Amino acid sequence: MKKKLLSTALAVSMVAASLSACTNGGGSGQEEPAPSQTAVENNTETTTEEGTEVEPVEELGYTYGEHFHSDDPVTYSMSFSDASWYPMTDQWVTEGVFAQIKERTNVTLDLTSIDSNDYNDKIALSINAGDAPYIIPKTYDESRYVDGGAIVPVSKWTQFMPNFTKFVEDYDMQSDLDTITRKDGNFYRLPGMHESPNQDYFFIIRKDLFDGAGVDIASLEKDMTYDDLYDALVKVKGYMVSEGMCKESDYIWSDLWCGQESGQGSGGNLLKIMGFSYNVASGWAVADCIQYDHDKDEWYLSSTTDDYKEFVKTANKFVSGGILDPETFTQDDSVATNKFYRGETAIMSVNRGQVATFTAGLDEGVGAGNYETYLMVTPKGINNYMAENSRLENGVMISKKAYDELGEEDFIKMLRFVDWLFYSDEAYDLIKWGIEGETYNVVDGQKVLADGWYCSGLGYADPTPDDETDNKDMRLEYGYAGGNFWYAHRVDQRDDNLTPALQDFSKRISQYRDIRPLNPALASTADENEQINLWKTPLVDNINTWTLNFVTGKKDIDKEWDNYIKSCDDANAKKLIDLYNEINKR
Amino acid sequence: MSSEEASAKTNVSNENEIEKKNDKAFSIWMKGMLKHLSKNWIIYTFFIIPVAYYIVFRYVPMFGNIIAFRKYSAGGNIFGSQWSGFKYFKQFLGDPAFRRAFCNTLILNFAYLAVRFPLTLVFALFLNEIKWLPWKKFVQTVSYLPHFISMVIVAGMIKELLSTSGPINTFLVSIGQQAIEFIALPEWFPTIFVASGIWQGLGWGSILYLAAIAGINPELYEAAKVDGATHFQQVIHVTIPCILPTITTLLILDIGGMVGSGGAFEKVFLLYNPMTYETSDIVSTYVYRMGVYSGNYSYATAVGLFEGLLNLILLTVANFTSKKVAGESLW
Amino acid sequence: MSEEKIKLDLGKEKKIKQGVKVKESWQFRVFQVFNAILMIFICATTLYPFLYLVAQSFSSEAAIIKGQVSIIPVGFNFTTYKSVLTKGDFLGYYKNTILYAVIGTFFSVLFSAMLAYPLSKPNLRLNKFFVPFIIFTMYFGGGMIPNYILMTSLGLRNTVFSFILPGLIGTYYVLLMKSFFAGLPHELEEAGEIDGLSKYGVFFRIVLPISKPIMATMVLFYMAGYWSNWFNAFLYLEDRSKWPVAYHLRQIIIGASTSADPGAASQETMQIAANIKSCSMVLMAVPIICVYPFIQKYFVQGMMLGGVKG
Repeated sequence: MKKKLLSTALAVSMVAASLSACTNGGGSGQEEPAPSQTAVENNTETTTEEGTEVEPVEELGYTYGEHFHSDDPVTYSMSFSDASWYPMTDQWVTEGVFAQIKERTNVTLDLTSIDSNDYNDKIALSINAGDAPYIIPKTYDESRYVDGGAIVPVSKWTQFMPNFTKFVEDYDMQSDLDTITRKDGNFYRLPGMHESPNQDYFFIIRKDLFDGAGVDIASLEKDMTYDDLYDALVKVKGYMVSEGMCKESDYIWSDLWCGQESGQGSGGNLLKIMGFSYNVASGWAVADCIQYDHDKDEWYLSSTTDDYKEFVKTANKFVSGGILDPETFTQDDSVATNKFYRGETAIMSVNRGQVATFTAGLDEGVGAGNYETYLMVTPKGINNYMAENSRLENGVMISKKAYDELGEEDFIKMLRFVDWLFYSDEAYDLIKWGIEGETYNVVDGQKVLADGWYCSGLGYADPTPDDETDNKDMRLEYGYAGGNFWYAHRVDQRDDNLTPALQDFSKRISQYRDIRPLNPALASTADENEQINLWKTPLVDNINTWTLNFVTGKKDIDKEWDNYIKSCDDANAKKLIDLYNEINKR
Repeated sequence: MSSEEASAKTNVSNENEIEKKNDKAFSIWMKGMLKHLSKNWIIYTFFIIPVAYYIVFRYVPMFGNIIAFRKYSAGGNIFGSQWSGFKYFKQFLGDPAFRRAFCNTLILNFAYLAVRFPLTLVFALFLNEIKWLPWKKFVQTVSYLPHFISMVIVAGMIKELLSTSGPINTFLVSIGQQAIEFIALPEWFPTIFVASGIWQGLGWGSILYLAAIAGINPELYEAAKVDGATHFQQVIHVTIPCILPTITTLLILDIGGMVGSGGAFEKVFLLYNPMTYETSDIVSTYVYRMGVYSGNYSYATAVGLFEGLLNLILLTVANFTSKKVAGESLW
Repeated sequence: MSEEKIKLDLGKEKKIKQGVKVKESWQFRVFQVFNAILMIFICATTLYPFLYLVAQSFSSEAAIIKGQVSIIPVGFNFTTYKSVLTKGDFLGYYKNTILYAVIGTFFSVLFSAMLAYPLSKPNLRLNKFFVPFIIFTMYFGGGMIPNYILMTSLGLRNTVFSFILPGLIGTYYVLLMKSFFAGLPHELEEAGEIDGLSKYGVFFRIVLPISKPIMATMVLFYMAGYWSNWFNAFLYLEDRSKWPVAYHLRQIIIGASTSADPGAASQETMQIAANIKSCSMVLMAVPIICVYPFIQKYFVQGMMLGGVKG
C-alpha cells in the first residue's frame, strides 16, 4: 500500500513534469525564421546601389568587397572541427587566426572545439538537444536536421550576403545549389563552392619503379583503364621482385583512407575513386548509392547493377593478383604510409595537402635522390569520368537559436560576418595564408610563405625536419590553412599554393577526364526523409559488408551474387528506389 | 438507461464504502508511519542526496523513452513532436538488420555463457585444490587482474595480438600456415568475443564459487573422510552439492541476462567493422548506428526500449525461478 | 563478524590441509601436478598479452613490422615513450584521468555508503520502498539520447560533472555495501549512541572506520571504473584539454589519431606510429596493475560477504 502510494505519487509527478515539458516545447521549432519586410527593403536599397559607388552605409548595408567590422564588440558561438593532426591551441585564440579575426571584425568567436573524428556525431547530438552553437561549419550532410526546425533555411537570407551571392552569379552556381534545395524550396547549408569540381584525391606512384619495369606512365595515363593499371603493376611487381625489393608474396599497394576509421568502414577513398569510374557510388560516396539515370529519368541502386559487378571484380583482381593488400580495408593509415616510405609499395592514394608529406617520408625512408614520384590521373573504368562531380562541398549551417537570441537585425549582422569569414577574398587570404609580411609574402603576384614558416597543409614541408626550433608550421602554431573555413574557391585561389607538379597534375586531369552529370535534387517531405533514412542506414551497412567481402575475395561474387541481391532486397532496396522514383514523378 | 445509472450509483456507493475502509486503514497506517518517521527522521536524511541522484539521473532519463512512441525531430521538443504509436516498433520488427542484431546478441551471449559458466566453476574447484597458499594467492592475483583493465586496452590488445604481424599470425606462419586476418573475418568474431571474455572474466567469475566453497562446513568433509571417500569423491559428494544453490542462482540469473547487450556494447563497438557485421552487430551497436550515427532517434529508442523491456521480463522470470528453485534471488 | 568469519575460513583451510596430508593418494599427487601445470598455463595466458605489449612498446619499428617481438623487446628504444611523455598532450590527459578518478571515487564511495547504510537497517520501514526503487534502475533505464539531453539541459556538458555523474552511484556496489553493513555488530553503534554521538557521528566515526575492507573494495571498483571510462568522455566532453587518457587511447586505437606530427615524416614518426598504441596502453594500465594487488585481499572479502545474496 505505502509502496504503491509513494511510487504512484512519484510517477504521477514525473509524468506531469514530462508532459508539461512536452507542451512547453511543442510550439517552438515549427516556425521558420524568414527576413521581415523592412529588413529586405533596407537591403535592396543598398544592393541596388551595388556596383555604383556607395557612400559608407549603416551596418545592415554592407556590400560586396567591403570589410566587415562590427561597431560594438560581439560574440558568436561556433563549433570547430578540431583535427588531431593539428590540434587547436590557446595560441590560436590569443595571437593566431581567431585573434586576427577578432582584430579585423570586432567579433569574438565562442568556440566549441570537437575532435574531428566525432564531429558529426556530436553536432547531431547537440542540435538534437537544442544546444547547438550559432555557426556550425564543416557540415557534410544537413538533411537530417532540415525538418526539425533547429536550423535556419539559410537560402532565405543569402540576399544579405554579397560575397556569397556574387560567387553564385559569377560562376553560375544556381544549378549546383538546386541539388541541395529541399522540397520547401530552401537550402539549409551555406556550401563551400568551387569554380570547377576539384578532384582532390588521386594516386602518387613511384615513377622510378614504373620506369624500371618499362612502363611509361606519362604516355599511358590518358586512356589507361584499371585493367591496364593492373597489368602495369604486375610488371612493376616483377621488377621489384627481381631487384630484391620485395618478395613474391608481398603486396605492392597498401592504401590509406580505407581502413576502419578514415574509411568509415566503407572502403573509403579507393573504392570511391574506382567506383565512379564504373558508375557506382561506393566507398566514401556509398550514401549516394541511389543514383540518377538521366536517360531513363529514374533513380536506381548503383550497387546492384552489372556495372557494380564489373567494378567489384576489377577491384578484387588487384587483391587476388597479389597487388593490393587486403588489409588496406582494416588497417590504420600509418601502416600504409610507412610501407610507402620504406619503398615497399609502389602506389598509394594521395591528396593535394599530403603530397609534400609523402615525399618527405620517402626522403627519409628511401633516401632523397633514390626515387622519383609522379602524380597519376585516376584511371578509367567503363566511363571517362573523374570521381568528383560536385562543385559544392561541406558547408555552414546556422542555428535557429541565433535568430531567436539575437533578433533579426543582429542576426543579419551575424550573417554578414559569416559571409565575410567564409566567402570574402580578404578572409580567404587571412585564413589560408595568415598575415602578409609576417607569414607570407607576395612575390611576382604569387603568394609564398615567409622565412621561418612552413605549412604541411599547404604543401610546404619543413625544410629541416630534424631541427625543431628553426622553422614553425603556421598551421600548428596559429591555425591558418585549417580545414574549417575555405569556402568560395576560385580556381586561382584554390591552386595558389600548388607546387609545379600539382599544377601540372591539375591541368592533366581536367584535360583527360570528364565530369559526371549531377544527380537532380530530391524534393522529399519530412516523413519521406525519415523513411529514406530508416531504410538507407541498414541498406548501406549491408552493401558495405558485401562490397568489402567481394573486393577482398572473402566472398566470390559470381557464386554469391544472388544472395547479395536478396540481402539488398531484404534491406528494403526496392521500396527505397520506388520511394525515390515516386518523389521524382511528383 | 435508468438501471444503468442506478447500478452506477450503487457502484459508486460501494466504492465509497471501500474507500472509507481504505481511508481508515490508511489513517492508521499513516499514524504509525508518522511516528516511525519522527523517531527515525535523522537517519532518513541519509537518503536525500542519493535518492535525489537516482531520481534525476536514473528515473528522469527513463521518461525520455517516450520518444519511442512519438516522432522525434531534431531540435524540436525533447519528448518528440507528435504521437506515432507503435509505428517504429512495427518498422524495426520488419527490419532484417534488427533481426540479425537480435540474433547475434543471443548467439554471442549464449556462446559466452556456455563456455564461461563451466570454465569458471571448474577453475574455482581446481583453484581450491591448490595447497600451497602463496601460489594460490599468486594465481588468484593474476587471474583477477584482467577484470580491472579498461575495455579500451583489452580491445587494443586483441587488435595487436591478432594483427597480421602480431604474435599469433607469426606463429601460424612459422608452422607453415597462412596468416589469418582475424579482425576482418565474420566467422572469427564469436571466437574472439568469447575467448577475450574468458581471458578477462575467468578469475573474477570464480570468486563467488570460492566464497561458497569456503563457506562449506568442514565437518562435512571430515564425515566423508570417515566414510572412506577419496578426495575426488569428496568434491563430487560434498563440495558440489554444497555450492549447488550458488551455481543454480548464478546460472538462472545469467540466463535472465541473455537478451541484454549492455555489457557487450563497449567490446563489440571497439572491435567490429562492416565486414564482420554479419556476426558482430548486436542490438546496442545497432541502436547506436541508427540513433547517434544516422539520427533516427525515435526508431533507435524504440529498439532500445524493446530490448530493455524484454530483458526486464526475462530477468523477472529468472529471478522468480531462482527463488523457487534455489531459494536465492536478487530482490 | 567479518573478522570472525575470515578466521574461520583460515582455520578450516588449515584443517583440510592437515587432513589431506594424511590421506594423499598417488592419484591425488598426479592430479596436483596436473593442476599446477594447468594453473601455470592459465597464468601464462593471462599475463602474455601484457608482456607482449610491454615488449612491443620498447621495440624498434622494424622488429614490430616483421613480427619478431614476442616477450622480449627487439631493438630496444625509448623513442615513443619519450615522445608520448614530452610532446603532445598525453600528460595532460593523464592528469585529467587522475583528477576525475580521485574526485569521482571520493563522492561515489561517500554517497554509496550513505545510501547503503540506512538500507542495511532492517527496522527502517521505508526501505521496502527504497530497495526496489534503486534495484529497478539496474534493469531498466533511459537510453543514450535521453541521458544526453538531460546532461545538456542541466548545463553540465563539457564539464567534469558530466564525466562523473552518470556513474556516480553503482547500484550493484550499493547492494554489496548494504550486505556488509548489515553484517556489522550493532553493539558498537549502540555504544556510540549512548556516548552521545548523532546518527552522522556514528556513521562517520564508527561505521566507516570499521568497514575498511568494503571501503577499500569500493575505492578500487569505482577507481577502476573511472580510470577505464571513455564513453562518457566520448558523449559529453568536447575540449581536448578535458579528455581523460582512456578517450585519447580510444582515438589512437581506432586509428583516428596519433601523437606524431604529420608535418615531419621522419624515422621518429615511423617508430612512433608503430608502437604508440602499446606505449599508451602500458602507461594507462600501469597504475591499476600496481594498486590492485594491495586491495585484493579486501575485495575478495567484500565480494564473498555480499556477492551471492546481492
